Amino acid sequence: MTNAWRAAGLTYIQYSNICARVVRQSLKANLRNDAAKRNETHVKFTPWANGKPARRATEEA
Amino acid sequence: MMMQRANILMPVAIEATFQSQPQRGMATLKAISIRLKSVKNIQKITQSMKMVSAAKYSRAERDLKAARPYGVGAQQFFEKTEIQSEDKTEPKKLLIAMTSDRGLCGAVHTGVARYIRNELAKDDSQTKLFCVGDKSRSILSRTYGKNILMVANEVGRLPPTFLDASKIAHEVLKTGYDFTEGQIVYNKFKSVVSYQLSTLPVYNAPTVEKSEKLALYDSLDSEIVQSYLEYSLASLIFYTMKEGACSEQSSRMTAMDNASKNAGEMIEKLTLTFNRTRQAVITRELIEIISGAAALN
Repeated sequence: MTNAWRAAGLTYIQYSNICARVVRQSLKANLRNDAAKRNETHVKFTPWANGKPARRATEEA
Repeated sequence: MMMQRANILMPVAIEATFQSQPQRGMATLKAISIRLKSVKNIQKITQSMKMVSAAKYSRAERDLKAARPYGVGAQQFFEKTEIQSEDKTEPKKLLIAMTSDRGLCGAVHTGVARYIRNELAKDDSQTKLFCVGDKSRSILSRTYGKNILMVANEVGRLPPTFLDASKIAHEVLKTGYDFTEGQIVYNKFKSVVSYQLSTLPVYNAPTVEKSEKLALYDSLDSEIVQSYLEYSLASLIFYTMKEGACSEQSSRMTAMDNASKNAGEMIEKLTLTFNRTRQAVITRELIEIISGAAALN
């Protein structure tokens, strides 16, 4: 039993976040503004190798 | 540790030089007033930083209350199944350092970094690091740069969201480093004035599936276990980020309060020296005038 999203190469984290985003978007306008704040992320990642940053910070949804 | 931070802002050494200077001449009066002004400015800065972090702290504490169930719930699973890493022969460890980008907050970041350094000092060949926040990176990169797998920054400017946590969890899973046992190192918030360095264990799917007590849970297949582990990693990271953010703000509040107090002390002493010097200058001038007048007679 493999879920469709797993077969598509998504992890559960990504899958549940997509679901959460859809739920937030379907809220009523007065609640949506508040919920939109929870839909933000600013974290940037830099992979390191051999004690040095391997390449520039990547931004990914 | 907090006091150390405060002392960097206001080196105590300056005082000593001023106490020996008044004999040297008039220039010191100017020098003292310049120094006085700069210390006053520093005090203003630290005071406003304290106010800002107090406001941020109250929000972080409110958020933390809401986030606690995430962490407690996720931990329950590991406690109930009594998972232990079996592969003792070749453990591949992963340490996740929960810090932020911002400094001036006492010893929250150094505490995390020190724990990791001690862990790495034991054995650094099989351990990798995932640094969340620039602070842990800057502390650890010099000695253990080779162990750093990934750095996440832009953490701590805004309160952490679950999306931030899930992105970090996603990166942890997709680094390609197949760890057998992981640890999240973070500061656990206890009260406004105290936090405690804590660790949370993280396991990979094969280790969990080998656990005997997993039968406590009904109808689990490897698919569900994998999904759950992914989600629980995100929850744990979210929870520890909130704990860390709350400890950081409370610690910054204390640190800035101390810094303002120290600045106040310095201002007092400098004002005293300033007034004494001014008095000495006036007295000397008077003596010069009077003795000059006396010589004329």
